[in-house]
Parts: sequence; structure tokens; C-alpha cells
Amino acid sequence: MSDMILYFIVQTGFVILAAPLVNGIIKKIKALSQKRTGAPVLQMYYDLFKLFKKTSVVSDVSSWIFRVTPYIVFATAVAAAMIVPVTTLIKPVWNTGDVILLVYILALGRFFMMLAALDTGSTFGGMGASREAMISALIEPSILVSLITVGLIAKSTAVFPIMTFMQTVQNPLIHPVYLMIFCALLIVIIAETSRIPVDDPSTHLELTMVHEAMLLEYSGRSLALMELAAAIKQLVFITLLVNLFLPHDQLIGIHGIAAIGISLLIYLAKVFIAALLIGIVEVNTVKLRLFSIPNLAALSFILSFIGFLQFFAFGG
Amino acid sequence: MTNYLDALSVLLLVSAFILMGNKRIGSYIKTFQFQSALVALLTGIIGISSFAQDGRIDVLIICAVVIGIKVLFIPYLLKKTYAKVAYRVEKDFFLNIPILVLICCLMVVFSYFSFAETMGINTGTINNQIVNSFSVILIGLLFMISRKKAIGQIVGFLVIENGIFVTALFATHGMPFIVDMGILMDILVAVIIMGIMVFRIDEKFGSINVDNIKDLRG
Repeated sequence: MSDMILYFIVQTGFVILAAPLVNGIIKKIKALSQKRTGAPVLQMYYDLFKLFKKTSVVSDVSSWIFRVTPYIVFATAVAAAMIVPVTTLIKPVWNTGDVILLVYILALGRFFMMLAALDTGSTFGGMGASREAMISALIEPSILVSLITVGLIAKSTAVFPIMTFMQTVQNPLIHPVYLMIFCALLIVIIAETSRIPVDDPSTHLELTMVHEAMLLEYSGRSLALMELAAAIKQLVFITLLVNLFLPHDQLIGIHGIAAIGISLLIYLAKVFIAALLIGIVEVNTVKLRLFSIPNLAALSFILSFIGFLQFFAFGG
Repeated sequence: MTNYLDALSVLLLVSAFILMGNKRIGSYIKTFQFQSALVALLTGIIGISSFAQDGRIDVLIICAVVIGIKVLFIPYLLKKTYAKVAYRVEKDFFLNIPILVLICCLMVVFSYFSFAETMGINTGTINNQIVNSFSVILIGLLFMISRKKAIGQIVGFLVIENGIFVTALFATHGMPFIVDMGILMDILVAVIIMGIMVFRIDEKFGSINVDNIKDLRG
């Protein structure tokens, strides 16, 4: 029981508190690459704090969907964060938390986000929603195939057993199957978190925006919730990537609270490295045309599929 | 060492796929350079192990030559040609890119299952490294026939050559020195000639779309 409470506290607290930091780091890297000083790393916390204090303006013509969506999106993001453990040293008592649940709980949040964007009847919202629908439909097969392939090797579809299994694998990144899945998931993360080759997170009021276009009508507390949810979702995906393919818990070798602390510190370092990687990708690429995104999605799907095939033909 | 070779063969396949998903000439050249760097790394690993085991240094020499020719000189040559001709992005294909990538996937499936019939696929030196590098050859072939512009076709040719080189390397862990050197020199001369040809075609017809060359027929 105490394990369960600890798991709850560590998961929610860690993920919610650390999520805006990742955005700050990526923005800082971009600023430094342009020889600007840039906003402080903690800027997003200040923004969220300010937004939470403001009242939100709601359009008269919008329905209840518009008002309820920020809470649904935030709740689904936190629920997804509960499924993906930041460290495997704390055991959740239950063994649920399928990869399929993970993918579709995030899809539920996205579905409501698209509905809300259509709800106010603004043109930008409709554009953003249709683009988001296209991108998510394209990227979904790839994430499912890659996660289920790892699940096949680990002989479980729940995230926690998969992660504990990955702790026993020596150097997953030089294993042919995991390497393919890793490449596929990198593309998935970039598309899911609306990063540069797919969508530009720093644009506001620009014709090419996707994620921003859906948030355009929101203000105040609702906007803060939506932005925090997006940051949490990003951290969930990064956690999935680093904990699956850079396992570290077997390195510690001891148990108890101290081990958990060390494990969390190493986890933060890994997230920092991943943020660095995403920042570098963002600096070095340009945004793709909307109709070039299927190329990227096809690439990601095929890589995950070949990973599956390698497992099938040669064994894990 | 086998682990690292496995990983490198997978990365080679990934780079071939990235090449297939691209349509900018600049990215073609960059991806080819990356792939050649992987080939050089792979040759280096095999070279070091053959030096440690038998005291042979010929694979290491080949590694140096690969770095010189494929990683540095040919991309430089292609970039020079690319700067002279007018276009930057390839616009028309025979099939669109997602379908091409799917066809590539089918070819990889084909090579997996045709090689899976081979005796001892999981025992000796023949394993998924061979399958991956063979897939690189097939993808290079498809890349060559799917691109209409001449530089794309040169890059496709070079990818096929990379695939053949790596397949030979995986199968034998070091071909006879003279054979490897002969192939590399052939490639070098072929690329130089093709580069000049592309420039000439561009000068003569105002574009390097190979469809226009059909007009030469009497």
C-alpha cells in the first residue's frame, strides 16, 4: 500500500513538476544556437503561474465541450503519466497500464481537443483540428507497432513489465530490433509533441500552425491547463523513450529510498540528454510542408515494422 | 563485435530508408555521406579485428581509402555538380514517396524470407547482417529507378555499390585487397565521368531530367 502511495506521489509530482522544464531547456538550446540569451529555463513556470491567476474568456457561442476540454486533456495527460513509470524501483501494486491504453488515453485527450477547436467555429481552429487529425492518424500505427513489438519480446503488453524486462537487456541500442524501434519512436516523439519537422511550437498566429491553432481560443486557466498537458505529454513520451532504450536501474544494485533517489537523478539526466537531442534536431531542421508529413510517417511506420520483422525472422 | 556489426547493418538500412524518404538533392548527398561514414566505421571494426587475429592490415588500408573516396571526395564532387545545376528539390516521381517506402518494405520482407530459407542462417557468418545489406542493394536499385533526375540516379548507383561492398565484407570479413581497391577505383572514375556528364546534359538541354534525353532518338 505504501508502495502504491509512493508511486502515485513520485509519478504525478515528478512528471507535472519536471514537464515545463523540458520545454525551457529546448527553448534555451534554440536561443543559444541563435546567439541570443533567451528566456530563463524556468520561464514556462512563470507563464503558467501567471495564467492560472487570470480569468478565462469563453465565447458565447461555444458549448460545454469547450469548457470541459481543458480538464479532460489535463486528466488524460496525467493518467498517461501514471502508466509510464519514471523508475522501475517503485512497484505499482496493480499490473495494469497497457501500451494500448497508453496510446488511446492520449488519443481521447486529443479527440476532445479537436472537438473543442471545432466548437468555437473559428477558421484557425478547424484548420488545426483537421491537420491534427491527419497527423495523429498517420503516426498512430507506427507507435502501436513499435510498442507492441517490444511487448512481444518482453512477453507482456503492460508498460511496467516491459520496462522491468528492458532492465535486463544489455545495451538495447546496439540490438538490431531495439535500434529500429528506437529510430521509429524518435520520429513518433517529434510528431506527437508537435516539434519542428512536423509543427513549429514557437509560432503563434501563423498559417502553418497545428497545435497552437487549436489552443487559439483559450485563455487564462484553461490555456494554462492545455499547455501544461502538452508539456506532460511530451515528458511522458520522452520517459518512454529513455526508460525503454537507456535502462539504468540495474546499474544501481541497491534497494530502498537511496536507490530510488539515485535512480530519479539518473532519470533526470537522461531526460536532459533527450531534451538536448530534440533541441539539436529542432535547430538543424526546417518545418516540413504539411503534405510531406506522410513521408515521415511512412518512414516511421516502416522502421517499426522492420523491427517487428527482425524479431519475427531472427528472434529477439 | 557481432553486436556492433548487427547495429551498424541496421543503421545502414535505416539510412537507405531515410534516403528513400527524401526529395532534396542536398539531403541525398548528406545521407549518402552518412551512409558511407557507417561503411567506413564498419570496415574499420572488421579491419581492427582482422589485424588483431591474423595481423593483416589490408582491410584497414581499405578503410582509409573508403574514408578518402566515399566519405570525403565523392560527396565533395557531387556537391560541386549540385551547385552548378539549377534545381534543388525533386518534384515529380513515378510513384509518390510513401508508396515507394512501402515497396522498399516489401523488398526487405522479400529478402528476409528468401534468406531465411538459406541453410544455417542463424549460425555462421551469414545472418541478419547479410539480409540488411542485401536490402540496401535492393533499395538502392529502387531509388535509382524512381528518381528522374541524374544526380538522384548517381546517388542510387552509389548506394547499390555501398550495399554490395558491405555484403561482401559481411560474408567474407575482408575480400582480397586487389578486388576491393579495383571496385573503389571504378566507382571513383564512374562518378567523375557521370558528374561531368550531368553538367554537360544540363548545359545542353537546360535541365537534367533524364526524360528529355529521349528526344535524342532519331
